[in-house]
Formats: sequence, C-alpha cells, structure tokens
Amino acid sequence: MTATSPSEKDRLIADLRHRLAEAEETLRAIRENEVDALVMRGPIADEVFTIGGDCESYRAFMETMEPGAVALDAAGRILYTNSAFEQLLGKDFAGLQGQFLLDVLPADTVREIKLLLADARATRKSCEVHFPRAGDGELDLYFVAAAIPLRLGTISGHAVTFADVTERVYREGLEQSELAARAVIDSANEAVLVCDRNGIITHANAASSIIYEGDRVGQAFADIIPLDFHGTSGVLHPDDMIAMVVAGTPLQGIEATAVNAPKVKDYLVSAAPLRVAGGWISGAVVTMVDLSHRKAAEERQQLLMRELAHRVKNSLAMVAAISARTASTVSTVKEFQAVFSGRIQALAATHNLLLGNAWSSLGLGEIVKSELTPYIDDAAGNVTIDGLNMAVAPRAAIAFGLIVHELTTNAVKYGSLSQKGGRITLREIGGNNGKSDPLVVEWRESGGPPVAPLERKGFGHTVITRSLQYGRGGGAELDFDPAGLVCRISIPPEELS
Amino acid sequence: MAPRKLILYVAGQTPKSLAAIANLERICAEHLPGQYDGEVIDLRKNPKLAREHSIVAIPTLVRELPVPLRKLIGDLSDTHKVLVNLSIGDGA
Repeated sequence: MTATSPSEKDRLIADLRHRLAEAEETLRAIRENEVDALVMRGPIADEVFTIGGDCESYRAFMETMEPGAVALDAAGRILYTNSAFEQLLGKDFAGLQGQFLLDVLPADTVREIKLLLADARATRKSCEVHFPRAGDGELDLYFVAAAIPLRLGTISGHAVTFADVTERVYREGLEQSELAARAVIDSANEAVLVCDRNGIITHANAASSIIYEGDRVGQAFADIIPLDFHGTSGVLHPDDMIAMVVAGTPLQGIEATAVNAPKVKDYLVSAAPLRVAGGWISGAVVTMVDLSHRKAAEERQQLLMRELAHRVKNSLAMVAAISARTASTVSTVKEFQAVFSGRIQALAATHNLLLGNAWSSLGLGEIVKSELTPYIDDAAGNVTIDGLNMAVAPRAAIAFGLIVHELTTNAVKYGSLSQKGGRITLREIGGNNGKSDPLVVEWRESGGPPVAPLERKGFGHTVITRSLQYGRGGGAELDFDPAGLVCRISIPPEELS
Repeated sequence: MAPRKLILYVAGQTPKSLAAIANLERICAEHLPGQYDGEVIDLRKNPKLAREHSIVAIPTLVRELPVPLRKLIGDLSDTHKVLVNLSIGDGA
C-alpha cells in the first residue's frame, strides 16, 4: 500500500463524492421515470435498451391492430397478446402468458409456424396457415401469419401476427367454383338458365337462345319463357315453378311447351335449387332439353308401325293368293311345294333387298340379279343385263321381282336355260320420255328349244301379265317367238324414281 | 469568452429523448442565446460513444465546457433546474 498525501486524499474523496452523487442522481432519475433508455455493457459492445414507455406504446399499438398479434421471447414463450389473438384462440391473456405459442396453436399449424419463426431470425417472413374447425357448419379459418424479429427492452424474440384471410380464401374458392360452373353450363348442349330467388335470370348459356332470342339476363323467367305444363292438368304454372324450386323442391323431367319459343316448342324441363355456401338456396337452375327430335322419332316410329301392319297385311293377302292360285295349277303336293316355295322365295328376295335399302326404291338390275342368282352360273355368262339402272318404288319392285321369278323358272324348265348354249338378254327398250311414259324392259331368250304358244295359261302367266297393271300403262306382254320367248315389261311412270 | 459546449445524449426517438431535444433547443434559444455550442449524440446509432462520459441513463445532458463537467439526467422539462445546473461553477 502506498502512502497518500493529505491533499491527494482530499482530491480522491472529492472525486468519490462526485461519483456517488452522480450514481445517486442516475438512480433517482430512473426511479422517478425521468429516463426511457439505458446503456448497458454487452458481451461485445455497449447496447442501448429502451424501458417503460416503449413497451406500453407497443402494447397500445398491438391492441389497435385488427390481426391477432403475439410477442414471443427467444424460446417462443408468449410475452404479450392482443385481444384479437385471444379471441382467435378462445382464451384470455392469463391462460396464454408464459405458454409456448406452439403449444396453444391448432396442431395443423404448428409445423408452419415453427418453420416461420426459424425463417424470420433477421427479417419479416410470412406464410398462410389453416385453422380447422371441428363444429358442424363452422367454416375453417385461414390466416396469413407474419413474423418479425422483436426487441422488448433487454429481451429479443419475435412479433407474430395472424391476419384473417378466410373471407378472401372462400371468395376465391367460390369464384373458382362459379367459373367452373359457368364453364359446365356454357358447354351444355341443353338450354340452361340460372335464376335468383325472385325468378330473375342471372345467367343463360348460348344454347338457351333456342327458347328466347333476345337478352335473357335480367329478365323474369316467367315473363320471357311462358311454359305450358300440359301434362300436369293445369296444376303447375310457370310462375310457381321457380318459387317451388327455391323453396327446396326440385322438378324433374316434366314435358312442357314453350309457347313463345321461336323454333322448337317442345321441351323436357328440369329445375333444381341452386345451393351456395352453407347450403343456402340462392336461386334455381332450369334445364330445358329439346324434345323435337324425340317427338319426331316417336312419330316416325308410329308411322313405321302403321306401315308395317299395312305391309304385313298386304304380304299375307299376296301369299294367300299365290297359295290358292298355285294349288289350282298343280297336280301333286310335291309340285305345289316346289312351285309355291319358289314364289315365296322370290317375294322374300325382293323384300330382303328393300329392307337393306330402308324400304325405299330399288334398282331394276339389282332385282333381276337377286331373282336369277339361284338358277344361273355367273361363269357361264348366259345372262346379259344391259342398262336397267333405273330405280323403282317398293310396290313395283315386288311385282317386277315376281315377274322375273316366273320368267326365270319358266326359262329353266322349258326355255333357253333348259339347255346348254341358251341365253337371256335384259334391256330397256324405250318409253319413259321425261318420266311421263311407262319404262319398257325387254326379256329376250335365245338358243333354247323352239317356243310354241301356251296351250293353257297358268298362274305364272297371270303373275307376269297382271302384276304391274295396277299403275298407268303398267303390265307385261308375252311374245312366243319360236326363236325364244320375249316378254316386254312396262313399269308405270309414277313408280320410277 | 471561454468555450462552452453542451452534449445531449439520446436513444433514437424515445419519447424522453425527443422531449429533451425540444426542451434544450427552447431553453438555449430563450435563456442562453449564442452562449453554447450544442451537439446531440444518438447512442442507438453509436453506443460506444457512451463511454466517453460514462453515460448510463438516457437522455443525459453533459456540459462539457466550461469545466467542471456537469451531467443532467432527464427530459430537461424543468427549465429552472437546467439553468441552475448549467450555471454552477460558471464564472461567466
């Protein structure tokens, strides 16, 4: 210890007194709230910390914020929350203070918030989080969580905010749904009209122009599309339809007439409630399917049924007549069987051709080939068909087929096809000028045995000469030329197409 | 006239720092016009400057010159106290 002079001691004491006074003054100033920041010795350098008023201003500021806000220490413990955050979690501040934030958040959000805090060590970071709700009818909540480093006095940590974006998320979802629904409606082939609860049309697809050509949106459905629900015996009126659907009762597949529709008037009408978020019915979706094709198909079917009945009746009468006349011209059952089945087959052959051609007209050449096929050999080349491109109506086709059948069986039995070298030539020999005269087809045999006139005219002769006589100028005449049978078949002009 | 210098130590824009700056400007203008060179040091920007005058609490006004050095802690809202402190040992 070194000796100190009295004057030096006085100076030291004076200095100590001065420093004590300064320290006391500093303590007094702090105690009396005259300062709001302190300089502290840090591990590396001096640091300035604010005290008192800053925290209060932070808290006041947090309380005015609409988003939920929470201040955390470095370990993630809750230091302070605003009431929006407390409401969000359904807890008061006493129940939250000192808890780890990750322990009080819904489990689904923990991972995102953990990553967010780790990410926000130096700067502000944000992410979207989702709070699932367990209660029935309660919508899940969506938040943008943002974290920023925070210094509260001597404590460092994070400030985290939760901004509710649920409405935006649902609105975007609804917009997406509406876009998808509109795309579906617009792509539908059927007329689709969407009405609000008052029956005012809010959306109409392009296909609905078939019902009302003008601007449909903004108009009352019942005004521009009056419907006659004839099948409901007047119980259902169009005015009631939307009201009924909006009340929750769907309408399925009811036939109606759109009285003012410009073209198609028959529709199958369906209407369903338009349910939006929460199951609330905001209007009605009306679908109208064009029934004109179905109606036309039904009418066509009815027509075909009537026509079929008529033809079956005619065919049966024809078969009965062929049977009776064949029986009167043959002497044995065996002969009857052969001749009768040949004639029925001839009839069937023409019927088959007509069926294959939707019972419309048939080409003469086609009929001839069909009737000759069972009896001739194509390779022999003993039949020549010259022309015969003209088509004839079904009735003339059947008669022509029967005539060709009778001529063919006769040629096979007695005529040119009964011996080798015999020939048959078919050709058009005139008539049908401008389709006003009958068309004459000639059947000419050659190379067969000499022909002599008939001693007895059988049913075959009757079929040949009379089958086409039902029409103007129709019929056939036979020429028993010794060189070969000639038959000129006249087809009535009205049967030609 | 002997040099006169005042240094006000503040911490950014805390309420008392802002009040101290405003009060000092007002006192100097009203009572000591042209008598002092004034300087404001923001310790938030440069904390190590606190060591020169051993500053602990903020705001603190230091009368560096004339000696003896004087410190006055607080927002300088008491004009009389400020004027008394600035005149102690002042031979002017």
